Formats: sequence, structure tokens, C-alpha cells
Amino acid sequence: MTITNVASEVIGSVWKVEMNVGDAVKAGDTIMILESMKMEIPVEAPVDGKITEFKVQPEDSVDEDQVLCTIES
Amino acid sequence: MNQSQLPETLEEKLEELGQREEAARQMGGKDKIARRTAAGIMNARSRIDVLLDPGTFSETGLLGVSTVFEEDRDKTPADGKVAGFGLIDNRRVGIVSNDFTVKGASSSMTNMKKIGHVKRTATDRGFPLIFLGESSGARMPDNMGSEGMGTMLGNDPHQYVRHRETPWVSAVLGQCFGSSAWYSCLADFTVMRKGAVLAVASPALASLAIGQKVEPEDLGGWKLHSEETGLVDRVVETDEEALAEIRKFLSYMPSHNGETPPVAEVPAGSDEAADHITQILPDSRKRGYDVRKIINCIVDLESFFEFKPRFGRTAVTGLARLDGRVVGMVANNPMAKAGALDVSGCEKVTRFLVMCDSFNIPIINLVDTPGFVIGIEGEKKKAPGKIMNFMTALQMCTVPKLSVIMRKSYGQAYLNMGGGRNSDSVAVWPTAEVSFMDPQYATEVVTWGKDASDEEKGAIREEMERNSTYLGLAQIFAAQSVIAPQDTRKYLIEELKIQQLRRSGGIGRHNMASWPTTY
Repeated sequence: MTITNVASEVIGSVWKVEMNVGDAVKAGDTIMILESMKMEIPVEAPVDGKITEFKVQPEDSVDEDQVLCTIES
Repeated sequence: MNQSQLPETLEEKLEELGQREEAARQMGGKDKIARRTAAGIMNARSRIDVLLDPGTFSETGLLGVSTVFEEDRDKTPADGKVAGFGLIDNRRVGIVSNDFTVKGASSSMTNMKKIGHVKRTATDRGFPLIFLGESSGARMPDNMGSEGMGTMLGNDPHQYVRHRETPWVSAVLGQCFGSSAWYSCLADFTVMRKGAVLAVASPALASLAIGQKVEPEDLGGWKLHSEETGLVDRVVETDEEALAEIRKFLSYMPSHNGETPPVAEVPAGSDEAADHITQILPDSRKRGYDVRKIINCIVDLESFFEFKPRFGRTAVTGLARLDGRVVGMVANNPMAKAGALDVSGCEKVTRFLVMCDSFNIPIINLVDTPGFVIGIEGEKKKAPGKIMNFMTALQMCTVPKLSVIMRKSYGQAYLNMGGGRNSDSVAVWPTAEVSFMDPQYATEVVTWGKDASDEEKGAIREEMERNSTYLGLAQIFAAQSVIAPQDTRKYLIEELKIQQLRRSGGIGRHNMASWPTTY
């Protein structure tokens, strides 16, 4: 069982969270959408698994490399 | 060896020679080597063995030692740097591998002569040069005092000159101060192992100098160099990975600048991948995407070898192949700063253009940028100068340059990304959006001080948007082709054939062969 941290690649804020804790994800699925410099930046699952925790919520500011959520696989 | 028992016969002399050579191959001794092996770190000779094609290493200067101080003669096998020649994928290379178990692989008279020899031979005879870096810098106290300095340093007026005759590669595999650091900066491709340190001088010395403890990672660790300085192209976890990356890099390069890169086989499925582009490109112009996914749909399967992925992330640069032939990919990444080019992005692309042009590698621009990042931070980093360096480099290229405008291309960045006559041929996707300024800002500029209502501004903005489409470029032949995204691979392969430098056998004029390596 491994925990994968899903990190932000941009500086921006959380716009929409498309999934819930406990949801199953496949690599490539969009978990949430960030806003950065007026662009919508999708955050994709890097691995298959189950979402175990969200560390941010809509309207939170995020930094590059900040952990957004965790996936258990 | 007892003076009274000098070998007399040839047989005796050969036996004695064999013993000396065997002793020299032990490097700093079994204990030191064993400690490194236990820590999972390779040594100077095992690195060479793994890097080169098996059995191809021909060493030069095995019996070189330090003769500066008599007591060092027996303590400096190969004078701390193992040098010679060999083959990688059956192609000739020159190699210098630092032996940290011998006086920290510090530089001194004999080993500098060895480096000079390998360097001169590789440059003049036309093959790549590889430095496996791990060195404490110049040897103390050999170089101390005015006589030490006069003897050791400054005697080669061309020591640090690069005319990019052949590719140089450097691996940062431990502490790299002094010569290992210099050659890492001069190289065309530098790979760093996590935990290694690249700096002018050691943390110990730095701590002494500033009276504060300096952490190695802060001074010259992998994060600093892959994210802030950009002095390192790729980061790996182990020595073995570093060596594999060196082999991979060299597979994209010609042996010298008088030939074109080797042609590879095209992996099955490469053409089919092109159709996936439509799934990656969002419908909304506000939606970002990772341009590397698009690159991977266009180039031969798994051929994309990215340079500096964590530096200047708004741009993506890397070597790849199209139909088996090497190309240099330059793209804006809408994931980072909406694809706006910042100073680091400019630096990264400029350096990449210089390398590709110097080694006869055609350049392909994939464009989706709203322009340059504006603001005080960029200006403090000399943004206008960096933008101009970028333009100068682009305009000095003589390799074929192709440009595909995928979505946005605004303002000066339109030129930097190969717009107009800054490419040999420009293609646009129907989703292309080209103008001087984003209509939203442009509306403000043109209505400045004119007391325009929101409705009037809206109308002006919409008119501007209508006039920013691909048609404007296509109809006045400012773009040479309009293509569907899924046809990009086919288009580029064909256009590269058309733009091939036939009259010179694919060789460019190398206007930037002497371009500085860091700026």
C-alpha cells in the first residue's frame, strides 16, 4: 500500500474540486482544477488508486510543489 | 623496488611494468573502494566500465603520478584522474573519470596534462568528450605560493574555450569543486546525481569564508541547480542512471559538428499516436494542458528527452526524433504561468537553440503563449536583455527552423517562438490566436482616456477577437500552411524533408559555436 502525494505544478488557487474522499481514480483522471494566471489548470492523478485526503479546498491559494491531496494504491 | 635489483631482461622489465600497472589500477586502495561500494557509490573505474561498450576502454597515462612532492609519487595512482578513450554504441568517445579516492581527485600537473591530451584529441579528431565529475578542486599545497600558481595554473591559454566542435558531457557524481564544476558548466549536457554538490568551492571553505555554517544542499545541491540556476540538465538517483543518461544523450548527437546526428529506427505505433492530440487539446482556450503530452503525440514514440524540466517551466525544451531523425523541440507550456515566457524560460530556450544549431539539429517550435511575463521581478533579472539574447540566437540559427502555432501567439513572443520569417516555414492550427496583445488588455489601451462604456469596450474586444484567428495569417501568407492538429506529425516530417540542408549535407554554418555557456 503506497501513499502518493499529488502536488501542484503551479502557483495559483483552487477553483473546482471534481472528486471526493474515497473516490476511485485512474491515472490521468482530473481530480481538481486550479486557477493560475487566468488559466484553468487541471490536476491529474499520477497513479491509479483511491483518494484518501484533500489538503486544500476551493479558493485556497496554492504554491508550486504544495501537496493538494493524497492517493492510496 | 630495490635499486640493486633493476630488471635487466625484457621479461623482467615487462613483469615489473605489469606490477606497476596493477598497483595503479587499485586507485586509492581496497579499503576506500570497499567503503564506496558499501555506500552504493561507484568508483572512477567502475563508472568507465559501465558507461563504455564492454572491453573498449583504452587508458592513457595509467602510470602518471604526482611528482611535485617526492612523498606523493607513491600515493597518487594515475594522479587521481583516469583518462582515455573508448566506444559508446560503437562510436568513439574521450573520457576523464575523477578518482576521489586519490587526494580527492584534485587537479595537479600530471592529471591536467592528461585532461589536455584527451580534450585536444577529441576536439581535433572529432568525437565527444565525457567528464565524470567528482573532485575537490585544485590540489593543495601543490598550487600554493606564487611558484605553485605559476607552475600549476594558467599555462593553457585555451583551457576553457569552447567552439563546440564536438559534444561535451558532464556528470556531477559527488563533490564537484574547481575543475569538475568548470567542465560541468562548459558541457552541452550535464546530469547530476542527488546528494552530489556542484559549487565554486566546498561548503567547509564557504563556511570559513562567511563565518556561518553553509549546508551542502544550499550551496550546490540538486534542487538549487535543477530549479534555480539551471546549470544542470537532468537529475538522477544513482550513478548507474547518470551513466545511462549520458549514453542516451549521445545517441541524439553527431560525433562532431561536421556530421548530422545518427538516424534511428521508428518505433511501431508512432504514427498512430498523432491522433491522440485531439483528446489532449482542450476545447476552451482558458483550459491549460501539459504541452509535453502533445509533444509525445507528435514525435517518435518515447523519443522525447527533456532538458531542464524543473527550470524555466513555462518553456519546454528537449531532443526528440521525427521519422528517426533528431530534432530539437521548443514549446510553451500553458501549465506554467499560462505559457507566458519568463526570464528562466528565455534562458533555457536560448541555450537549447545554441546547442541544436551547433550540432546540426533542426528546431521545431510549438507555440501557445500569451506573451512575456511582465513585472518587476523579471525586469530585475534583465528581461529585455534575455529576450534579445533569445532573438539573436534564433536569428543566428542556420539549421532548419519550423514553427507550429497551436493556440496563442502574442506580441514579441510571436517572434521569439519563430513567427513570421523567424522560421523557415510556419504552420497554424485552426485554434491559433495571433495578435499584438490579448484583446482584454488591448481594449483598455485603445480606449485609454476616452470614457468608453462597458458595452463599447465589449464590442471593441469582440472585434479584436474576431480578427485574431488563423485566417489573418493564412490569407496574407504570413503562415505557409494551415493544418489540423492530428496532422502535425505528418506535416513536420514532410516539411523537414523539404527544408533539409541539401547543399551542405545537412551541416549548418554554426554561427553560435563560440556562444558563451552561461549568461
